[in-house]
Amino acid sequence: MTAPLGTAPADGPSAPAQDARAAEGPPPGRRSTLRYAAAKLGGAVLSVGMVIVATFFLFRLIPGDPTIAYTRDVPVSPEQLALLRRQLGLDRPLGEQFLDFVWRTLRLDLGTSYEYRRPVSELIGERAGPTLLLAGTGLAVAVGLGLWQGARAAWRHGGRLDRVSTGVSLVLWSVPTFWLGLLLLMGLAAGVGPFPGVFPTRGMEDVDAPDGFAYVLHVGHHLVLPCLTLVAVVYAQYLLVMRSSLLDEIGQDYITTARAKGLRDDEVRRRHAVPNALLPTVTLVFMNIGFVVAGAVSVETVYSWPGLGLLFYEAIKGPDFAVMQGTFLVLCVAVIVMNTLADVVYHVLDPRVRSA
Amino acid sequence: MSPLTGAGRRGLTRSARFWREFRARPSGPAGAAILLAAVLVALLTPLLTDPAGLDVTRATGPRMGPPSLEHPLGTDESGRSVLLMITWGSRVSLLIGFMSALLSMVIGTTVGIAAGHFRGWPAAVLMRITDWFLVLPSLVLALVLAAILGGGMFTIILAIGVTSWASTARLIRAQTLAVEARPYIERARALGGGHWHVMTRHVLPNVAPLVLANTTLQVAGAIVAESTLAFLGAQSGQVSWGGMLRASYDWGAATSGAWWYVLAPGLCIVAVVMAFTLVGRALEAVLNPRLRGAGR
Amino acid sequence: MTRVGVLLAACGLAVSVGLSALSFPAAADDTAPAVAAREPAAAKKIVRLGVTQSMDSMSPFLALRLVSTSIHRWTYGNLTVPDPQTLRPSPDLAESWETSADKLTWTFKVRDAKWSDGQPVTAHDAAWTFNKMMTDDGAKTANGSAVENFETVTATDDRTLVIKTKKPQASMLENPAPIVPRHVWQQVTDVGAFQNETYPVVGSGPYVAVEHRKDAYVKLRANPNYWRGAPKIDELHVIFYENPEAANAGLKRGDIDWIGRLAAAQFEALAGDPAIVQWNTQGRRASYLQLNPGAATADGEAIGDGHPALRDPRVRQAIHHAIDKKTLVEQTQNGLAQVADGSIVPPLYSEFFWRAQGEEQVTFDTAEANRILDEAGYRRGDDGIRTMPDGGRRFEMRFSIHTDTPVEDKLAQFLTGWLKEIGIELTTRRLDSNKFTEETGSTGLYDIAISGWSVNPDPEEVLATHLCSRRPTASGQAGGTESFYCDDEFERLYQEQLSELDRAERAEIIKRMQRRLYTDAPVIALYYPNNLEGYRKDRIAAITPVPLDKGILYGGSGYWPAYTLQAVAAPAVPAGGSGGTGVTVAVVAGAVLVLGAGGFLLLRRRRATADERE
Repeated sequence: MTAPLGTAPADGPSAPAQDARAAEGPPPGRRSTLRYAAAKLGGAVLSVGMVIVATFFLFRLIPGDPTIAYTRDVPVSPEQLALLRRQLGLDRPLGEQFLDFVWRTLRLDLGTSYEYRRPVSELIGERAGPTLLLAGTGLAVAVGLGLWQGARAAWRHGGRLDRVSTGVSLVLWSVPTFWLGLLLLMGLAAGVGPFPGVFPTRGMEDVDAPDGFAYVLHVGHHLVLPCLTLVAVVYAQYLLVMRSSLLDEIGQDYITTARAKGLRDDEVRRRHAVPNALLPTVTLVFMNIGFVVAGAVSVETVYSWPGLGLLFYEAIKGPDFAVMQGTFLVLCVAVIVMNTLADVVYHVLDPRVRSA
Repeated sequence: MSPLTGAGRRGLTRSARFWREFRARPSGPAGAAILLAAVLVALLTPLLTDPAGLDVTRATGPRMGPPSLEHPLGTDESGRSVLLMITWGSRVSLLIGFMSALLSMVIGTTVGIAAGHFRGWPAAVLMRITDWFLVLPSLVLALVLAAILGGGMFTIILAIGVTSWASTARLIRAQTLAVEARPYIERARALGGGHWHVMTRHVLPNVAPLVLANTTLQVAGAIVAESTLAFLGAQSGQVSWGGMLRASYDWGAATSGAWWYVLAPGLCIVAVVMAFTLVGRALEAVLNPRLRGAGR
Repeated sequence: MTRVGVLLAACGLAVSVGLSALSFPAAADDTAPAVAAREPAAAKKIVRLGVTQSMDSMSPFLALRLVSTSIHRWTYGNLTVPDPQTLRPSPDLAESWETSADKLTWTFKVRDAKWSDGQPVTAHDAAWTFNKMMTDDGAKTANGSAVENFETVTATDDRTLVIKTKKPQASMLENPAPIVPRHVWQQVTDVGAFQNETYPVVGSGPYVAVEHRKDAYVKLRANPNYWRGAPKIDELHVIFYENPEAANAGLKRGDIDWIGRLAAAQFEALAGDPAIVQWNTQGRRASYLQLNPGAATADGEAIGDGHPALRDPRVRQAIHHAIDKKTLVEQTQNGLAQVADGSIVPPLYSEFFWRAQGEEQVTFDTAEANRILDEAGYRRGDDGIRTMPDGGRRFEMRFSIHTDTPVEDKLAQFLTGWLKEIGIELTTRRLDSNKFTEETGSTGLYDIAISGWSVNPDPEEVLATHLCSRRPTASGQAGGTESFYCDDEFERLYQEQLSELDRAERAEIIKRMQRRLYTDAPVIALYYPNNLEGYRKDRIAAITPVPLDKGILYGGSGYWPAYTLQAVAAPAVPAGGSGGTGVTVAVVAGAVLVLGAGGFLLLRRRRATADERE
């Protein structure tokens, strides 16, 4: 369930960032690189600003009185409710609340959770690690697998391997993440019939987890199924982009020249074609980080993985709007930052873009 | 020969060529066949079956009964036929898919053409917004929207449509830039064609095929998105494939061994999403000149 | 490329696992227990409880969720605890108590017990706890309403606690507030923000909390200083599952030993496993409908937009007749609930439970419902839907339920079908819990709504939710009403039971209150869901429910089940369980991974050479 909401597995050149560059290619030179980076940074700051403003107004659209969330199923007196409203700052005018919100957000103060009665930033801090681990590992494996399979598929395009690997990736791409997660959980963790499950049914670690290297293995064992689910669903887009951009490269003259020079096939691929095809793919990797993050929400829910996605899901279920708002903000900003970084790095690396 | 028949003939050869190229990749027609079947089922269901079977107070089957002659795909937790629910659910799932893709297409095309046609700050602002929507984790945004606006089919369509148009806008803008660089647009301008004229008469017809291909891919995404939103709690309130998956989870179908209830809706989603993707990719390969080379 | 990709993946994995290994031990605030945890696990008697709720707070002043209040009940003493046999208040930290003649002064004798850090428990600890809640707004969150009626609380000496109340309070002995150690808590500057995450947490209950990982687990260890004697097991682990299906799978394969509060579907899925005991007993919850009887504020000013017909008790009673509770129990609860022939107090509390009998009982009878409505002058229109007697407003009503609640969704489907039979068109409104509570609790924007209440051994609180004074204030702030009900007789009975300190007399009054609710029907009780749990008998040798014979294990009141847990002496360690096996499996998995990667690299090399030959 990740990619579908946005870019479909876009075949190479329709990778959006590239279109932009085709039209706005900056002049060459080191100075221009700096200027480019500054412009991108400015854009990122603007984006973050937009996220903050949008977040505030989006969450003020909510009809209803948030104090009620606090007191569900619990007997409270009117005095307690009034007190709660004061504590949450809900009795002040909207403009004041907005300025206050911006100022607090800039100081990384994301408010207090209705449900946990703790600062949201603290809750997020505690859960960022597991999500980084899951999404980071998932992304790394998916990218590795996608690029590798994509390159092989393109090199022997039309062959059986191409058809099989492209087909498999497309099927997996069409599977809802949570459903795949549940199936894997039922099959490989709970066990089917006489086959016992071999993976844990929940979380990142058990009580009394071992120390040192054994702990790494322990967590790794818990990571297998969540990671597998995430990878299965997102790797298709990397495969398809790698495949089509490598196909583009294969048609280029320099490949023919390299072959004519008598270089081994494998070497032509590794030294010439793949590095050039890699660049547009890398852009897409970063462009689509948002999808990996979205996938993490489903995966963490299915596997009770104690990360941001689970926190976000629980907040929606609550609903605990302060946590929802904080998590939303943090996820969006993280994605914007990654993107900007990628943009700048891409610019520095890609000779074609620099001299365009 | 009148100009009209000339145009007609040109159109004929063009569509013939289109069909030939579309057929060149077997995956395209295969996907189209699955799609046709799914749409037929969705359209014929009200004619062939009785929606009373969806009413829990009138369900006759056993609870979570395994597949049998009477209920080929078993029954759900209230004794309703899973097959019947699948066929009726296809209507809701496809409708949500089509409507949100349509919404996303309208927003994306409008923004894309406008951003490609106008220069200066309006284009910059539009692209800024597009980029912003492009990088945001759209599922997360859709979930927040659905949570804030409350449940319901309209909300789901809105949440998916509003969060998924950015890539279309990017694509259409690039195409618009290419079209507007052609000399005949220059000519149209010189002849006094205004912005509206150029955009609707010249740019739109040229980008329309690409929009179609892109929309097909969007439908695929929207159907998966619907199921994910349903699983995470934002339901349309009607029987849909995503809603069925959620219900099978809620009522413990997997641990009770009711595999038919867990697998049937999921496989339907995979098949239809896959079909849309194949058709979309085939269309894109045929229609997008930039991809023609890559389609080998 | 190939190798680059593989390396990239491998590096990513290694780096992120390494990072997490570095960051997580630091993130959890445990040092001492972590060392202790490395002792051989086999020697310890451990019971692992699975829950589908994560801890909201370790501070007893802040925690509201069932899992946290349960854990606090196991780690802190209260003044009293419900007797496991009779559910009546029995001594806990208070050894004995007496009341003054005017029923306003309570004197408790505090037990000579020890805190888990060895310090003595005194009346000063209790006095400090109650005074903190009375004076500090930050400490009111969890149990503030329990001290609202307190005038003063003082400790006259180490053993004597004196509580003076403003008005007589019969429910004094059910005070839910855990007593915290003064010597620890008086150093806390801001109780409203203090998280109580310094382990081991000093308490006086049968267990001591020694470790907590957010969204993962809480580890409790037996308290050797416990005044009743230490529990018979060494550790109790409370393990969090987001996914109830996974929790069930966890119980089946032995990752956990016990789950409470199962949904009917999950409970049924446990059938047929010889190692698992399916625990199906009466529950403490009542599920009911609230029918808008004409919402008004506490001052009596009408608010909201409830359907005018519902102000007529005859219409409410007709709706009662139209509901087939038996089918509801079968279809929404898989038959694992008791049809409600009474009101809001479930039969678990036999002392206070009231059941309608004979003539009074409202049965499922659509014809009778139609007769009542016809007689009352609500005629059907051409479409079969009734209208008000003046021919005006049609009987179109809303049914408000929560989002994301499959049982309520199903219930709505049935109700819609049945009410159609008596000429009422029902549309379902799904609201998130905030909006739901607001519309049905303060703004009155509902016609019929679902509701339910987990009732305590003393039903005073649930009865109070139907008082006039619980309706919202004139400024629209919720007061905690469950029905917007306001009835003179009900009010009078409530005041009467408040000051009736004779238990049997009081129970009679409480039954009369339920009867009033039943016949006037501002709420219609549907069923009392059973308490569904499961535990592994190859791990748990004994456990005492409350009440004793067929009661609740997890989620009830008091600490008896957790305290009396006995583990099987030499448990068969299930596959993939904690400790040694887990590590073995992890090592094997790791080895497979490494081998796989190696083999794959080898394969690549061979293919590469094959490529060259072409």
